[in-house]
Amino acid sequence: MTVSTAFAAMLVSFGVAVELACCLGVFLMEDAYDKLHYLGPAAIVGPVLIAAGIITVEGLGQAGIKSLLTAALLAVASPVLSHATARALYIRRRDHIEDRTMT
Amino acid sequence: MNAWLIAAIVLLTGLVPCGALLLRGSIVSALVGLQMAGILQTVVLLLLAEGFHRPPFFDLALVLALLSLAGGLVFARMLERWV
Repeated sequence: MTVSTAFAAMLVSFGVAVELACCLGVFLMEDAYDKLHYLGPAAIVGPVLIAAGIITVEGLGQAGIKSLLTAALLAVASPVLSHATARALYIRRRDHIEDRTMT
Repeated sequence: MNAWLIAAIVLLTGLVPCGALLLRGSIVSALVGLQMAGILQTVVLLLLAEGFHRPPFFDLALVLALLSLAGGLVFARMLERWV
């Protein structure tokens, strides 16, 4: 095993661990707002580490660039999605509170 | 079977809590679980493409990341008003 392969294995292992920890966090948190916090590291730290592992092995070829692009897309898309979901949750709860006060 | 495929299989176990959340959680929690599953699947596709040494398969991960964003936004918008 070369040094670059060992380094890639370390990066990918850490990325997989981050993803699984975030899965557990999403599952175990009670409130949906709390669950949303765990989407951030899962979409940014994990994919970037795994893309870095792929680039370590493959270099900046077709595979490396596409994995980097995928990680970048996830990193940009996740905050947008989290914001949209939190906004939807806020609107739903506000409507429910207003309904409760009216009755 | 190489290390990339093993990592993909290990990562697939993360779909179990996401599925449990989809089945048993509230509707907004289910949306969060769906987004988490989309992220997981994207990373799994990256690992599978590298594990099978097929660079064109990386396109699948890229497309899934893009479609997860679009799908998540549509679901979030619907949860605001109609569901």
